[in-house]
This record gives sequence, C-alpha cells and structure tokens, in this order.
Amino acid sequence: MTHLTMEQLLALREPGSEPGAAAAREHVEACAACAAELDRLHQRVARLRALPTLAPARDRWPAVQARRRAQRRSVMLRRAGFATLAMAASLAGIALVRPAAEPAGQPTAVVATELAEVKQNSQALEGVLQAYNLEGRVVDGHTARIAGVLEDRIAEVDQQLQAAELERSAAAQDRELLQLWRERVGLLDALVDVHVTRASNVGL
Amino acid sequence: MDSFFVADAEAVLARARSGDAAALEALFRAFESPVYNLARRICRTTEDAEDVLQETFFEVCRSIGRYRGDGSIWGWIRTIAASKALMRLRRNKYRDADELDDQVTPMRREDTALRMDLEAALERLGQTSRAVVWLHDVEGYTHEEIAGMMGKTVSFSKSQLARAHTRLRRWLGEEALA
Repeated sequence: MTHLTMEQLLALREPGSEPGAAAAREHVEACAACAAELDRLHQRVARLRALPTLAPARDRWPAVQARRRAQRRSVMLRRAGFATLAMAASLAGIALVRPAAEPAGQPTAVVATELAEVKQNSQALEGVLQAYNLEGRVVDGHTARIAGVLEDRIAEVDQQLQAAELERSAAAQDRELLQLWRERVGLLDALVDVHVTRASNVGL
Repeated sequence: MDSFFVADAEAVLARARSGDAAALEALFRAFESPVYNLARRICRTTEDAEDVLQETFFEVCRSIGRYRGDGSIWGWIRTIAASKALMRLRRNKYRDADELDDQVTPMRREDTALRMDLEAALERLGQTSRAVVWLHDVEGYTHEEIAGMMGKTVSFSKSQLARAHTRLRRWLGEEALA
C-alpha cells in the first residue's frame, strides 16, 4: 500500500476541499500507519503552539520614541523651510517699496552676516546627522533618552523660530532669530555628539 | 484584542490615533512580547528580532491613523510584524546558506542520529521553512496570505511547510515510531 505524503497529510488539515482530499481521507480511515502519522502531525503542531512566548531582553520603547521624534522634527523642519522661503519672498517684496534707510545705531548688517553663518552651521550639522542615517539606526535606551530630550528641545526651538519669523519686524527679527539659531546649533551639536561621536568611539 | 489585554481598549486606540504618546506606549506594552516572539521565531538572532520589534512599533505609531478597526488590533500589528520580519530575512539572505543546504545536502549524515527537542529542531530549520511553519501552524495564516507576504506562490508555501514537517519529524525522532 502507498502511504500519504507529508504534503497530502498537511492538506487534510486545510479547510475546504483540496484536490484528492476525499480519497486521502478515505485512505487515512483505512490505513493505521497514515492515521498515526496524521495524529503525530496534529501533536507536533499543538506542541509548536505551546512553545513559551519569548520576551525581549531590552526595553525598545525609548528607541521607538526617539525615531518618532526624529521623524516629527524632520517633517517640522521641511515645513519651517517652506515658511522661511515664503517669508523671505514676502520680505523681498516689502524691501522694494520700503524707504531705503533703516533706523541708525543697530549693526543689522553684522547681525545678518552672523545669522547667515549660524544657519550654515546648522545646515552642516543637519547634514552630518542625515549622513549618519538616524532613522535606520537602532540605539540603546540610554542614548535614545538623551537624544529624545535634545530632539524635543530642537522641535521647540523650531516652533519659536517659525513664530519669530512670522511675527516680528525685520530688525528685531534678526537679533531674535540669531539667538534661536545659536541655540539650535548648540543642540544639534550635542545631538551629533550623542549619535555620531559615541558610535565612532565604539567602532560602529 | 484577541488574547491580549489593553485596559479600556477603545479609548486607548482613539488616543493613539491622535498621536498620544502614553496611549502608543500602552499599545507597545500590550503587544511587545507577542511581536518579539513572532520576530524571534522567524529571525535568526535576538538582535534581528529586537530590530523587527522596534521597526514594527515605529510603523504602528506612524500608521495607527489608518487602522479603522475592521479586524483586531493584534491582527493588524501582527501583519506589520510578520512583514518586517520577512523583510529582515530577505535582507539577510545573502548570509543564509539554507537554500543551498536544501538542494545540495538534503540528508546530512548527523540527521539520521539526531533526536532533538522541538525548540532546537525549529531553530535548525532553514529561515524560510521556519517562517512558513510559524506563520501557518502557530499564527494561523493561510498559504495564500503567506505567499502574498513572501512574494512567492501558494505551492512554494505548501512545499516549504511539507519539507519543514518532514525534517521536524526526522529530527524529533518520530520516524522511529512509524
């Protein structure tokens, strides 16, 4: 007598009618060896289902949160980028119709130059973080917590930057923006230190 | 929520959809073990399984707004986890000699004398076979669903399952009983 193959035995467990299922069922009823084999198959599956549930050794939630924050921040930055462009365009329009002279006594040109430099620094640090590919990295809980605090603060500074760009007059804006951009660069610098410097120290 | 319990589930889900961090963490705490277990049973290493756990919940946090409650929340999270775990297998495939083993040395000498426990036998299966066994026999996915997730045919899934059971049977010493 030819016994059923493993594939035929497995097909008997499937709901519905596989081709040849009726004949295979008849065979199992008549063949003690195949009936025993089917029984062992059922037992094996039951034992697989009864295997203990394995639990992770480390808490991964801080790392999930850190990635969420990083993603939110990059979305916010993209939006802030558009808002800045729009603001710059509208300021350029105002400059065309505004009287040439600014109130004297404030070195606005110096502030503007410094502001441009700080923005460049910020952009360079963003580039470092982007090259490091934060989203694709898995970090330990401690690093994730520190990075999370920094990223939260950067997100707050970004919101303040957006508000400052939209609400202030041009002269006051540059000074306030400079202060905020400096804070942003400091935070980004710390974030680069947390991610990139630590990673290179441990040879990742 | 299947066999997993989240206190005040509907309210937690509503808050999670609005991005509430505490609600998202409650979901993570409720499902981290089953997600890790599924990932660990499919992936080769604990590190890979932990990465899958992290990627799964990052995706859950990002996409929870798209979960409309048509099926159970565990079913939805489990599908994300299975898909991430299978993606991890594909990524690691270049390091995996399973397919080669299956074709070139189907009857390694030590197999005949082996009698292992189920954990060890499951671990010894090739990654693809193990994934199919776990998804089909334990998680309850159909061959059609597994084929869809793996980007393979239904008959591929069926033959992987049959091959896995033939090996498990041998390694568990059940042939001697036949």
